[in-house]
Amino acid sequence: MTIHPEDTDGNVDLVTFRLGGEICAVPASQLREVLEPVAMMRVPGAAEFVAGLINVRGTVVPLSDLRVPLGMPREPAGEHARIMVMDIPVSGQSCVVGILADAVHEVTRLDPEKCEQVPTVGARWPQRFVSAVGRWKGDLVTLPDLATIFEDFLDGFDGRTTLTGARRATKIQEPERA
Amino acid sequence: MTDEEPNAIFRNEAETLVETLEERLLRLEATPGDADLIDAVFRDLHTLKGSGAMFGRHDVANFLHGFETAFEAVREGRAKVNEQLIAISLAAKDHIANLLSKPGADGGDAILNQLAVYLEGTPQTPQDSRLWHLTFKLAPDTLALGGRPEAIIDDLRSLGFRDIRALLGDVPPLSKIDPERLYISWEAWIDRDIGRDEILTAFLFHEDGLELTLAPPIEEATARDLEDPKPDSTRSPANGRGGALMRVPAERLDEMMDRVGELVIAEARLREAAARIGESGLSSIVEDISRLTSGMRETTMSVRMTPISAITGRFRRLAHDLAGKLGRHFDFVIEGEKTELDKTVVERLAEPLMHIIRNAADHGLEDPSLRSAAGKPATGTIRLEARYAGAEVLISLSDDGRGLDREAIRMRAVERGLIASSATLSDEEIFGLIFEPGFSTAAEVTDLSGRGVGMDVVRRTIDELRGTVEVSSEPGYGTSVSLRLPLTLAIIDGLLVDLAGERFVLPLAAVLEIVELPAEHGHPTSRNAFLDIRDTLVPFLRLRDLLESPGEPAPFQKVIVVSSADGRVGLVVDRIIGSNQTVIKQLSPLHSGLKLFSGATILGDGGVALILDIPQLVHRGRCLAERAQEAA
Amino acid sequence: MTRTVLVVDDSPSVRQMMANTLKGAGFVVVTAADGQEALDVCGRLRPDAVVTDQNMPRLDGIGFCRAFRTTPQNLGVPIIFLSTESEDAIKQKARAAGAIGWMIKPFDQAKLLAVINRVLGA
Repeated sequence: MTIHPEDTDGNVDLVTFRLGGEICAVPASQLREVLEPVAMMRVPGAAEFVAGLINVRGTVVPLSDLRVPLGMPREPAGEHARIMVMDIPVSGQSCVVGILADAVHEVTRLDPEKCEQVPTVGARWPQRFVSAVGRWKGDLVTLPDLATIFEDFLDGFDGRTTLTGARRATKIQEPERA
Repeated sequence: MTDEEPNAIFRNEAETLVETLEERLLRLEATPGDADLIDAVFRDLHTLKGSGAMFGRHDVANFLHGFETAFEAVREGRAKVNEQLIAISLAAKDHIANLLSKPGADGGDAILNQLAVYLEGTPQTPQDSRLWHLTFKLAPDTLALGGRPEAIIDDLRSLGFRDIRALLGDVPPLSKIDPERLYISWEAWIDRDIGRDEILTAFLFHEDGLELTLAPPIEEATARDLEDPKPDSTRSPANGRGGALMRVPAERLDEMMDRVGELVIAEARLREAAARIGESGLSSIVEDISRLTSGMRETTMSVRMTPISAITGRFRRLAHDLAGKLGRHFDFVIEGEKTELDKTVVERLAEPLMHIIRNAADHGLEDPSLRSAAGKPATGTIRLEARYAGAEVLISLSDDGRGLDREAIRMRAVERGLIASSATLSDEEIFGLIFEPGFSTAAEVTDLSGRGVGMDVVRRTIDELRGTVEVSSEPGYGTSVSLRLPLTLAIIDGLLVDLAGERFVLPLAAVLEIVELPAEHGHPTSRNAFLDIRDTLVPFLRLRDLLESPGEPAPFQKVIVVSSADGRVGLVVDRIIGSNQTVIKQLSPLHSGLKLFSGATILGDGGVALILDIPQLVHRGRCLAERAQEAA
Repeated sequence: MTRTVLVVDDSPSVRQMMANTLKGAGFVVVTAADGQEALDVCGRLRPDAVVTDQNMPRLDGIGFCRAFRTTPQNLGVPIIFLSTESEDAIKQKARAAGAIGWMIKPFDQAKLLAVINRVLGA
């Protein structure tokens, strides 16, 4: 995910949210809506990262937890927990995905000039999953690279991690497809 | 300007026309009564003839003249479109292509002869009770320009048309009517094969913006239905009952299906809400709405049903060409062409089936000498069969050729790293390998098969259509590829079940019966995985295990007995909720790798349920059981 | 019921000939020598049909047609062009301006009558 200049100043609108005790931000242009937590249907055999499905206005939408790939501690949802419904490019097409947040703060404007490249050492997150870091109200804001996170997920473990035994047994019937 | 330039332009134009001509001829084979298509073919021929003559290609022009004459007869209703005509026409089309690359090429006379024989051999359509159907629509500004539709109708009547009726389907509500616009179209019937030109005399000054179709009698039934109108059967989809056919853009049908899907979900929500309120007046309305919704769903699905014959023309052509290219004749038999499937399924089946036919002809059938030596008829047969099997359609493509070479497939798979050289595999598993990406059994890449698209594409397409594909083969006796496809893609009748408070849908079509799980099997650790149902042992699977359901099973578990490729299998669930019209929503790429589910659906209370894929479930269960046995 | 046909042509001989033909068939005929004059005539009476030439001084057939159609009462009055021009482009223009038909000169009387009868439904 790159930051697209969206106005003449080169600033972009970002939505800041809290996740695993950190402040993160994603482009507001990708955000469709913010929902109160809703009932999720667990998908048996799915990876923890995309463990379930929710109903968003008659559409079945996968619900994902960024804390899994980012290696953050996972705590039960608090009273400010929300679901951000976002458009995310997956396998070359736009996919609607719900993303869990501990709280959603506000839409703000961030000057890309003031965003820093991710330091290669000392970062808590896998570096390739972060597109930039910036500052917001004195706090460090991390911009996760959603496209990379989701692409990596599809390339890597394909959502079938917890049924590995069965996978191996059915290898012949279910070839990996590139 | 040099001489080459216009010639190149002519060649280019002619080649394009020849291509569209082929496509139209094949479509015409599927819909022989399509007057527009006949016109289009006629126009193509006419244009080709004209430009051929202009560019000094008298060989092309002369040949086309004969060809065009035949289609003129068709257009004027003097000759009928049938398989024979299409076959000759395809040969004629090929001859044109041949002439374009090799001026003066011969072979044309024989084809023209065949055409002539065909024309003379076709009896003139007798003036019997079979009726031709005319529909026409005038330009919307006809009235504003002072046009008089009634004068046209008078003229048509004097030409012999009868039962002239106005079609009011496009008339908007009164508040939206523009009094200057003409919204009405008309239909009429005539009992003879009237030429188009003769009809057009009635439309003097109304040719601009005129939409006119003249369809020949479709079936004997058409005329009878007209004279003796019976109540419309809702189960008479594509075979043209009732005479008045309407052409509708395919996207509208898709849109309609989407709307019906939404309607079904809304109906389920309404039902839930009414149940909560519990008011009897409301309940009876909900009943009505439910009935209407499921009727609407049936009708919409039946409208979308298309016979396989819509694509078999292409297969005949392919078989014909393959026989030519391979230099060995074979019989190509099609059975069950009237079997109907959702139109999307039919359209998407064409490519995979063509691939399988190509494979069968190229690799399956042996040379006549080999066949004779093996005591088989010298002429091979490729058979395409389609039939209904419950809520599915079974399509099989079999040949009586040499059969698949087990060892060759195995070696290739080892070579390609698909299996370990020590792996022991059943026949079924070995044959399944030919569907792996990049696998090709052709020792040499021929012109026909092995052009990069392989059986993996076949399998992917069938997967996407929620179908399954299986291969069986007997050395020396042939190979058979069987496709199982759902009748429709969008909505199924489902059985809603509960496991640990989570809900899943099973396709009702696969459900045979539901029984109580006997108490002795109640405990999950009980080893014996068979049920005695009326003295037959039926294996059963605990869905709790397969679906990793949390908590303890309910006290009175139920067993849903389903039919699967391996016979009857019981699926143990906590609770049956009931039947449910299930609108299938595709899973996103994030979950589409999970084979156990064929999709998800939204329930009346807004919750999401996963739709279980029974063949995959049974397969997975068997694998788990085998592993458990090995471990024990 | 007698119907009125307006004949617009800058050639007096054509006007004369058409008037005779139509009168012989029982129509009332009004003539005009160009589009402008035809518009003036239409200000006084409403014809049941118009037969007009294309190339005329002051206002040509298409110009007349457009102006004629701007008056709401004139909607539904058929206009037929009678011209030596036969290009599709100009026929299209005439159609867009509000003409219903186009006939090519020269014409014979029988054909003219057939056409008029047809558009008037006589």
